Amino acid sequence: MNVQVVYCNHQTADLAVRERLAFSSEDIVLRAYDELRNRFPDSEHVLVSTCNRVELYSAQQQAERSPSHIELARFFSEFHSLPLDDIFSDLLEETGAQAVRHLFEVAASIDSMVLGENQIVSQVKEAYELARRGNANGPLTNALFQRALAVSARVRTETKLSEGRVSIASVAVGDFGRSIFERFDDKTVLVIGAGDMADETLRYLQNEGVGKIVVCNRTAERAERLAGEFGGTVRPWEQLDICLADADLIVSATGASEPVVSIERFQRARAKSGAKPVFILDLGAPRDFQPGVGHIDDGVFLYDIDDLEATCRKNREARATEIERAHAIIEQETARFVHELHHKATGPIIGRLRDHWHEISAAELEILFRKMSHLPDEDRRAIERTIERIVNKLLHPPLETLREESREGTPHGLLDAIRRLFHLGE
Amino acid sequence: MRLENVTLFCFFASYLVALGFEAVPLLKKLKWSHWAALFSAAAGLVAQTAYLMARSRDTALPPLLNSTHDWLLVLAWLIVLLYLVVELADRRIALGLFVLPLVLALVGASRLVSDVHNPSLGESRNLGMFHAAMLVLGMAGVFIGFVMSLMYLVQHRRLKSKRGELPGLHMLSLETLGRVNWWAVVLSVPLLTAGMATGVWLTFLPHESTGAIELRRFEFLISGLLWLTMVALFFWLLTSRRPGGRVVAWRTMWACGFMLVTLVLLQVLSGGGIHGTG
Repeated sequence: MNVQVVYCNHQTADLAVRERLAFSSEDIVLRAYDELRNRFPDSEHVLVSTCNRVELYSAQQQAERSPSHIELARFFSEFHSLPLDDIFSDLLEETGAQAVRHLFEVAASIDSMVLGENQIVSQVKEAYELARRGNANGPLTNALFQRALAVSARVRTETKLSEGRVSIASVAVGDFGRSIFERFDDKTVLVIGAGDMADETLRYLQNEGVGKIVVCNRTAERAERLAGEFGGTVRPWEQLDICLADADLIVSATGASEPVVSIERFQRARAKSGAKPVFILDLGAPRDFQPGVGHIDDGVFLYDIDDLEATCRKNREARATEIERAHAIIEQETARFVHELHHKATGPIIGRLRDHWHEISAAELEILFRKMSHLPDEDRRAIERTIERIVNKLLHPPLETLREESREGTPHGLLDAIRRLFHLGE
Repeated sequence: MRLENVTLFCFFASYLVALGFEAVPLLKKLKWSHWAALFSAAAGLVAQTAYLMARSRDTALPPLLNSTHDWLLVLAWLIVLLYLVVELADRRIALGLFVLPLVLALVGASRLVSDVHNPSLGESRNLGMFHAAMLVLGMAGVFIGFVMSLMYLVQHRRLKSKRGELPGLHMLSLETLGRVNWWAVVLSVPLLTAGMATGVWLTFLPHESTGAIELRRFEFLISGLLWLTMVALFFWLLTSRRPGGRVVAWRTMWACGFMLVTLVLLQVLSGGGIHGTG
């Protein structure tokens, strides 16, 4: 039995390479499985293709029939019509326990760009489901992927690897916004500027079901694009003061070189709005709000990039301290899985050896009982039990040795020796 | 197990263990600690129910009319029940860290007050029951107001100091806390008023008991003063332009905290408060 993976990911290859090697839709993946089946009929396959990684897992019952690294690279090359020389060095290979460990690390999100993110679990699950739909899977990949998902769940349960948000927008909305407001559907969001950070934050706010979005930008064209994307309305730049007073949440990312909202300006807005809580995300660099705005009254909650980044960093550090614990779990699970896998490979030989010896003992007992037909049933049973014990004791050392050897991998040499020594046949 | 064998220590210890389990996530993530806390609190609640029932059976009076000791325990019982309901609805909220220390204080205080049954309330049973029920519900409202405003101030401080949420210390949003706080005060004041009014009415009813309540007593005057404080807070909340925020939380916490502490101390120092014999 053998498991292998040929892969490239965000740590080993540039985005440009990953994009060229990616299997971007379900149809393409299913077509890839057809091609893989034609090329490697004895192998099972699962393809994991996301924006951060392209990984092809293969497994086969007989190790000698495993496709080689170059054969799998050639598949990538020919399927994507890319020169083999251009991609071969980007496609790394792991086999056996290393391949199993690699998948467990991927599923547990240790290998992810954002450590501990949850998305990869569903991506691995979807990849496995797609392999099943494409009939590319088999008993080995079934066991491997089901165990990978179980390991991922165990890592998440037993460590804090997934705790705490680690992106600016998610920290802003999740750690702070949700602590101020009970709900967002009755809130007005004012977006000042129309940069990428505003875009990402609005995505999170939209997920929270934010009610009304108002975009106020110096350039109407960009404001309209952003408003159109999120179902908001555009207000002219001249009405910014009115918008400031109306807003419950303010997301600002203008890219202006000077603060857009001074303390005096916001004090005037507060005079109109009353003391209702207002949550301000100043995502501009340099800042769009003067820092003193946050101290105007108890209802103003102002956060800039540094404030949010500090929480992100803290959460990232907290996750990093959990890596060792996650690695320990993965090591333990890898060893267990590999042992089970190889132990399974030795199963048929063990069965045949046991049957063979028991058949011999049964035959010899029959001869003995025929000669000693006067023996009472009780004595016969005692003799049978003694012979059974002798056979089991004789079988114990070779079986134990096989079990020990299978911890390191399938003991092909030993299995072959047992086959030949005891005439067990193929 | 016989009901008579349940002691105050049984449920005090259960609530203490529940508080310990609630505090565990602050230090270490344990998947089962929340359920262990709920289980301990639920076990304490069952023991407390058994204890109150046994005492009620002995005196042939409902716990509310029994003694100050029982009255404080009914208040603690209500709060633990509320805690369990909220935690089952949303298990992420670290409510136990705020509620359970106060419950322990109430149970502890009940040990120090008179557990001799109060004859004056027993004589006009229905009115006495109404009086005690209104007061206990009003005090539960005061208790909730205190906890909500305390949580509000902790949450507000975290948000103003721009710190992320601590693991194991998830709190309600400021908006929710402010709203619940407002309702707790606004509902508790009429209940307390009804309780106080029936209490005064009870003093004018003709009865021959030696446990009659004297309106000019120090404890009654203090209670009246506390009630007036709550009424002032009530009207301020109703007429305020902004019925939420940090100032409201501060005032509510002080008013409710002052009321809770003073009333409990009064009960402890006089051996039974207004209904005491001292």
